[in-house]
Amino acid sequence: MTLTGNPSLLVAGIGEMVMSSSSDAHLVAYGLGSCIALAVWDPRTKVGGLAHFMLPNGPANAASPVKFIDTGLDAFLKSVEAKGASMNRSVLKAAGGAAMLTVGGGLAIGKRNAEAMNTALAQRGLSLSATALGGTAGRTVQLEVGDGRFLIKSLSSVTEL
Amino acid sequence: MALSLSEAGQNVVAGTFGRAMKRAGEALGSMSGEIIDVQTPMLQRCSAADVLTMAGGPESIVLAVYVGIWGSIEGHALLLFSPPDAHRLAQILLAGLLGPGELPIDATTDVLAYDELELSALQEAGNVTISAFLNELGMHLHEPCQPTPPQVVIEMAGAVLDAVLLDLVSDADQMLAAKTTFSEGGRAIDGTLLVLPRADSLRVLLDALGALGI
Repeated sequence: MTLTGNPSLLVAGIGEMVMSSSSDAHLVAYGLGSCIALAVWDPRTKVGGLAHFMLPNGPANAASPVKFIDTGLDAFLKSVEAKGASMNRSVLKAAGGAAMLTVGGGLAIGKRNAEAMNTALAQRGLSLSATALGGTAGRTVQLEVGDGRFLIKSLSSVTEL
Repeated sequence: MALSLSEAGQNVVAGTFGRAMKRAGEALGSMSGEIIDVQTPMLQRCSAADVLTMAGGPESIVLAVYVGIWGSIEGHALLLFSPPDAHRLAQILLAGLLGPGELPIDATTDVLAYDELELSALQEAGNVTISAFLNELGMHLHEPCQPTPPQVVIEMAGAVLDAVLLDLVSDADQMLAAKTTFSEGGRAIDGTLLVLPRADSLRVLLDALGALGI
């Protein structure tokens, strides 16, 4: 199992979201460290979305729509719903939130991001069905919109979540 | 707020990097017993996206030596190498300790495998290089800035960078990136030295060097 090139590859950079209803679309967030990627996939309409969040909280008027979890989550969920997904049916998965650097002890943002994501989803009556959060390894994630497969690639492996 | 630098201001900063790298080369040379020259042929202000492009993309694997900066200037510094170049630099640095071909890890079979001795040498290379810059900077500051102990990370470039960018709460155009070449004899190894000051520290840094308003 590998992350492969795809003509319908849509990349979510830091603070960005991508979504699609195309069965051959692959939604990707590269090189997640402390950042968190949230994947949403509706198994009935086969609509998927991927957001690449940077920080737990921040101003609502940020230049990047999903830079901050507290102010950007609703914008992301509404965008995926507008594409045809229902949050009642959708499967939500998240990855990232690693602690890449431990020197100085001041860079524990990954853990705060993971906590903020769980809290923000719970406040909206939602929960994650699977996660790959925390640890010390970087990750690239890929949501395959056609079948909802969510792949996690690290330096040592590719796994399906 | 973005700070703009004139060409003269950029030359002042580049000169500081250049003097610092000369001292770093001398220190690494005395550590290894070899004559090591460190040059910074290219210095630029850049964004995270620019740095990821320089590193070959967010998924490119890098060996990064991280040093935190605190004191009158606060922020982060990283020295990045491709894994094969990191092995080659370790070989040069350890040449005085080990004979040719005596490295415990065969880098030709696994470029991501590093012996503790190699990691220690690379950690010291990052420490010496970044500290040389901080020492050079310290000559222009009322109070010096201090480095944290170095940490080596072998990871995707995007993952390493987002860790420090998140702490800066910014992806603004405020990094100072210097292409850095370590040479010994006929061998040359390319790295990238990144200095990422907090926004208020960038102004202090540039002001201390006299790079603003000229």
